[in-house]
Amino acid sequence: MRSIIYYIREFLRPEWLKNFFFAKTAPLVTPSYFKDYPALTDKECTGCFNCMMICPAPGGIEVLRRKDQWIPEIYPGHCIRCGLCVEACEEGVLTSGRIREITRRDKTAFRSWYHLEVDDALCMRCGNCCVSCPINKQEDPQLGSSGTSSSDEVIMRIEGGRVRILHEEKCTGCKTCETHCPNGAIRVARMVEGVHEEVEA
Amino acid sequence: MSILQDIKNAVRSRSIHVAYVDVGSCNGCDIEVLACLAPRYDIEQYGIYVHNNPREADVLLVIGSVTPQWVDKLRDIWDKIPEPKVAVAIGNCPISGCVYARRDTLTNPPVEKYIPIAAQVPGCPPRPTEILNAILSVAPLIFKDYEEKQS
Amino acid sequence: MKKTVDVSIPLGPVHPCWKEPVRLKCETAGERVLRTELELGYMKKGIERIMRGRPWQEVMFLAERVCGICSVVHNMVFIETMEEISAIEVPPRAAYLRVVANEIDRIASHLIANFSYCYTIEHETLAMYLLNTRETVLDNLERLTGSRINTAYMIPGGVRFDILPEDAATVLADLVKVEDEMKRYVQMFETGPLIALRSRGIGVMSKEEAIRSHTVGPTARASGVPDCDLRLRHPTYQALNFEQITRTEGDNFARVMVRFQEIFQSIDLVRKCLDTLPEGPIRGGGHCKAGEAAYSGEAPRGELTYYIKTDEYGRVVDIAIRTPSIMNIEACAHSMIKDATSIADVTSTFISSDPCVACNER
Repeated sequence: MRSIIYYIREFLRPEWLKNFFFAKTAPLVTPSYFKDYPALTDKECTGCFNCMMICPAPGGIEVLRRKDQWIPEIYPGHCIRCGLCVEACEEGVLTSGRIREITRRDKTAFRSWYHLEVDDALCMRCGNCCVSCPINKQEDPQLGSSGTSSSDEVIMRIEGGRVRILHEEKCTGCKTCETHCPNGAIRVARMVEGVHEEVEA
Repeated sequence: MSILQDIKNAVRSRSIHVAYVDVGSCNGCDIEVLACLAPRYDIEQYGIYVHNNPREADVLLVIGSVTPQWVDKLRDIWDKIPEPKVAVAIGNCPISGCVYARRDTLTNPPVEKYIPIAAQVPGCPPRPTEILNAILSVAPLIFKDYEEKQS
Repeated sequence: MKKTVDVSIPLGPVHPCWKEPVRLKCETAGERVLRTELELGYMKKGIERIMRGRPWQEVMFLAERVCGICSVVHNMVFIETMEEISAIEVPPRAAYLRVVANEIDRIASHLIANFSYCYTIEHETLAMYLLNTRETVLDNLERLTGSRINTAYMIPGGVRFDILPEDAATVLADLVKVEDEMKRYVQMFETGPLIALRSRGIGVMSKEEAIRSHTVGPTARASGVPDCDLRLRHPTYQALNFEQITRTEGDNFARVMVRFQEIFQSIDLVRKCLDTLPEGPIRGGGHCKAGEAAYSGEAPRGELTYYIKTDEYGRVVDIAIRTPSIMNIEACAHSMIKDATSIADVTSTFISSDPCVACNER
């Protein structure tokens, strides 16, 4: 008898009656605050590659040059939708969910810089790193084929039998030198720091 | 006989039995497939029944990047499923290996090397709304004119 | 007289009750199951090997994807280990937001564990109720962090996004609804006679055996092991006056009830955090330096430990992750399923100890 009363009380609850007669499954829409695949805004991309260097998924984002402008391209099968590229872009070229509004309101950002380190015991001064570095090519068009250079603006050059690093701050972190070194002597460390600028009172 | 084929098309697009196999994932996509079963995004209202038996399945959901132990066993499970059958890859792991596709990994992505895949749902993990949208748009098409395509 | 045949029945990798592939070989004597043996290794991806030589912004995503159910706590313990190595301070507002995200994820994880158990007992109504409640909880996690699973919310020095006051009000209102629903479901679970028949007195593990087989988490707390909750040693939780929940029976029923009560405790903690959220910055900055540390946190399944060694640019040189399921699964297979009455009890006992096989074999 007690169970009959329990069931009658259970089925005459207003919530149960409302669900029974007017039940609907939720519409298949994604909410606006969900971090979806980054979409392009109308700001112009400068080709600084910050987004490519901070991306944790292999092959998630690539910045390609089409005709006469740089355009970042997201590959959905590789991108993990973390939102780091959206936060790292200084121009605001990418957008996803509410990330751009929140970072602009809070004044938070990701700062990245790159360290180069050369293991002298492994380096055999072949010059592959200096020749393959794209910034070297830009700074000194007459770069020697074995890595020597007469310009003082290059990032690194071969001199005195070793690799000498001159301007570490110009490095963009592409790791071309690391992939082309036959011994694995030169390594690039991508350092990232999340900062929050204090609001001036 | 095209009337018979039309009847078969109509029936096969409305009642689909799904079996899922996890070949080494982080469980995120698994949980999102279970969230499709929840009353909020009810997948059973479309006639799709999710269970775990390869022998009674029409569609095999593959989740995860292939670990060494599953390299020979995934083909066995695929062969056990009776015709007509189709495989759908859910998540980034079967497509490209997601974050595990680095130099020192033990996994062997993609899953297309082992069994033929008909559809993919990218995302890490894909939202239940995205999984449902993909399945509903694919459901009428995967078994359409199956006998005619085989011959 | 008929002879009984003793066979060894494998509960194979692909099984309706289990979400992940595990092989459990049961040695039977007629209908009784005497012993079980585990065969693992179907999900080994070599994550720790991939992590070597990478900076924190790539290792963080790999650490999260060790387990998708408890991904927020893996993120939190990894970041707190890196902060301990490099002595980075976290501002108080960020510490409270971290607790909010951690506890919301804990509620979602306990709901999935109890859903698994009710589904294994074939009480599908209660299982679907719990799964529906989980959707409301994950909605709130999405409002806070931007995605439901694999959120990547915490970074060294703080968190990524701040919470708006109207979002905080929505979260609190939703949690009131969740609490009301959970009270009804707990009452359904406690007074149901069929549930009691399949849960009370099944899979008993005494306190001495729990300590001897090194169980952790709610599995150990249900057997009465004292002082095994690592949130008691975390400074932010100590400031919120956290106390652990224990029971003494040690059977399936106690384990599930400990998880239900921890859900109520987590709702309370989130409420306290959001009501007393301090003002201030959400990121304190900080470089990752060289060093070595071992740090433990409390995952929804037990004690999670990361041993990390870094070089002077903050890259990970060596890492070892000890997840709670490593201890719990072995303890379950050896101590809880001794002399079970039937195979149905084997599956329900195994699921009640909340195995997370992906955590086990990252």
